[in-house]
Amino acid sequence: MSVKSIRIAHLFPELLNLYADQGNLAVLSLRARARGFRVEVVPIKLREPIDYRQIDLIMLGGGSDREQRVVSEALAGYAQDLRRAIDDGLPVLAVCGGYQLLGHSYELPSGEILPGLQALDLVTKAGTSRLIGNIAIELPETLKLARSTVVGFENHIGRTEHSHQALGRVLAGHGNNGVDHAEGIFVKRVVGTYIHGPLLPKNPHLADLLLTYARAYRGDDGTLEILDDTMEWQAHDQMLARLNVARKER
Amino acid sequence: MDVRSWVAFAVASVTAFALRVTKRAGTSLPGYVAARISPNLLFYALEKLDRCVIVTGTNGKTTTSALLRSLVAQDETWISNALGANLLQGILSALLPELTWRGQLRVKRAILEVDEATLPRLTKRFRPDMIIVTNVMRDQLDRYGEVDATLGYLYESTRDETVELVLNADDPLAASLGKNRLNTFYYGLSDWPEDDLLRQEVRDGAFCLRCGGELFYTRTVFGQMGHYHCPVCFEKRPEPQFSMCVRAMQDDVKIREEVRLQRILEYHVTQPLVGIYNAYNLLAACAAARLLGVNPARFEVGLARFTAPIGRMQTFPGNPSRVLALIKNPTGATMVLRSLEGVQSGNPLCFVINDADADGRDVSWLWDIDIESYVKRSPLVSAWYCAGTRGADMALRLKYAGIEPARIHLLERAEETLRVNADEGGSVYILCTYTALHPLANQLEAMQS
Repeated sequence: MSVKSIRIAHLFPELLNLYADQGNLAVLSLRARARGFRVEVVPIKLREPIDYRQIDLIMLGGGSDREQRVVSEALAGYAQDLRRAIDDGLPVLAVCGGYQLLGHSYELPSGEILPGLQALDLVTKAGTSRLIGNIAIELPETLKLARSTVVGFENHIGRTEHSHQALGRVLAGHGNNGVDHAEGIFVKRVVGTYIHGPLLPKNPHLADLLLTYARAYRGDDGTLEILDDTMEWQAHDQMLARLNVARKER
Repeated sequence: MDVRSWVAFAVASVTAFALRVTKRAGTSLPGYVAARISPNLLFYALEKLDRCVIVTGTNGKTTTSALLRSLVAQDETWISNALGANLLQGILSALLPELTWRGQLRVKRAILEVDEATLPRLTKRFRPDMIIVTNVMRDQLDRYGEVDATLGYLYESTRDETVELVLNADDPLAASLGKNRLNTFYYGLSDWPEDDLLRQEVRDGAFCLRCGGELFYTRTVFGQMGHYHCPVCFEKRPEPQFSMCVRAMQDDVKIREEVRLQRILEYHVTQPLVGIYNAYNLLAACAAARLLGVNPARFEVGLARFTAPIGRMQTFPGNPSRVLALIKNPTGATMVLRSLEGVQSGNPLCFVINDADADGRDVSWLWDIDIESYVKRSPLVSAWYCAGTRGADMALRLKYAGIEPARIHLLERAEETLRVNADEGGSVYILCTYTALHPLANQLEAMQS
């Protein structure tokens, strides 16, 4: 038997790489390697084909409006296969611009509509102001993770509406649209979120969930070895404490 | 001066006097007070200038301004907002001390560094003689939204073709501002030491602004800097009128200039600062000085008197000596680390990361710093220390760069970095964000005396 490996497809890194997406890849890679997996990050440039038999996880990052327009124009060719793969249980982490692109469309502040991958029932429209700041959300209980909170930073002008399960309930911050207290999306093994960049570093439980999914997609239902996450939780708790204080002051 | 501006000026002068008497620093306060009373006062003062050079761009504004000042201000005084207060109130604060009660300016020349988002508010009512754009990169995203927005501000501010525009040719984003525009001058590196390490850097402008295609680089310097062209629409790096040749292990650089079809001129200049990013700052300053009519024969004298602005790899002698460097965005931080590569082993490295408004509330940029390359080149850093309101985030960043957690120390207070020790003869390097800079510099100065 060969060494167990995890292959992560990083989609369109030349365009969707705005908010430290490297950070999320670094965390997934290091945490998998710590468990003895061989990790390979496969960059897939726009218009290059994706070989779904060769990958265990897709990472779709953020981009500016201009970059999203370039990506949007070339997306149609990917839509059908990606939808099928998602239905088969392929795990996807989609952040910010990448999250918006999973849906039907993204309407820019100018009124121009960028079609998305149509993979999820998700619609995004630009608002009049940016939703910016530290954020904390609570994950659904059904996930049964050791910790139920996720912390990070959001910065988006898009307001997203969808009919699926949200990734979490907003404890502090704005979330999908600043109105309904929902943040992100969680369908099958797809995690979509506006929490960008350092999403996974301070949320090791979410990183491990994605790795577990990547293994499960290949039929390995084993549990992951526990790592020493003292530093991760320290940063996580620091942010939680800070947001709680802010809420009390309000 | 209208009555309201005069009142604003009077109140600001009293404020400045009160600050002086109580020995309190407050670089922007008089300007802030005056601007609140009269928005016209700033423009009244600016109009009194005979010559005004504006320096803008993401990285290198303060250093380029300081270098340019040392080149031009040998016989005459120039006004500057040298302390880096580059919003409207900071600029007004710099002009106020030179304004007389009769409404005249004592000094009629200014080199002003201006924040990219502030620039359009200035150029809407005032026409400078020259604008230098050092580069356009991602900075504090929560302040500006996107690099595109910054580029938009700069585009808006540079449409007046009677203003001399000095642009970095090696940066596709900055260079794009000069397209279809008269009175534009470019500077760029013609030759520099090759780098044999494969770097994991973020490129902000690695695509063609005209057609969206991915730019092709025959050579790269750092970030999106380099010799580029678009293989689709044949858009390419403009040929710079001021080019520089940097040689490895040499202090002096060679500048070649060819302006307005005049004869080609070549001269050597001593580089007063380390790091290839400072070569760009020096070249931008030299190009601007030449356009302002300074003879290159006088450059050396000016540069000999140059002192680095606060926090730009400033060294505080002692045992151990300490080096203070401001970091505020990924490319800037990567460049600081790169200039530390190969520094003797046994030196501890400290990071003080805050997330106040002036620092940028979003610290995701920490994950875009190329720490991995630094670790590869300098495996013998003795210990890593993190402090600041986001010290824990920085510690995590180091862990995921492959540094053993046992060697990463989280300090509760920023001042504790000043007590970190180094091996015999080594230096402690402190890399910090904006709001940590001045308190640390003040304490380091106090430790000297």
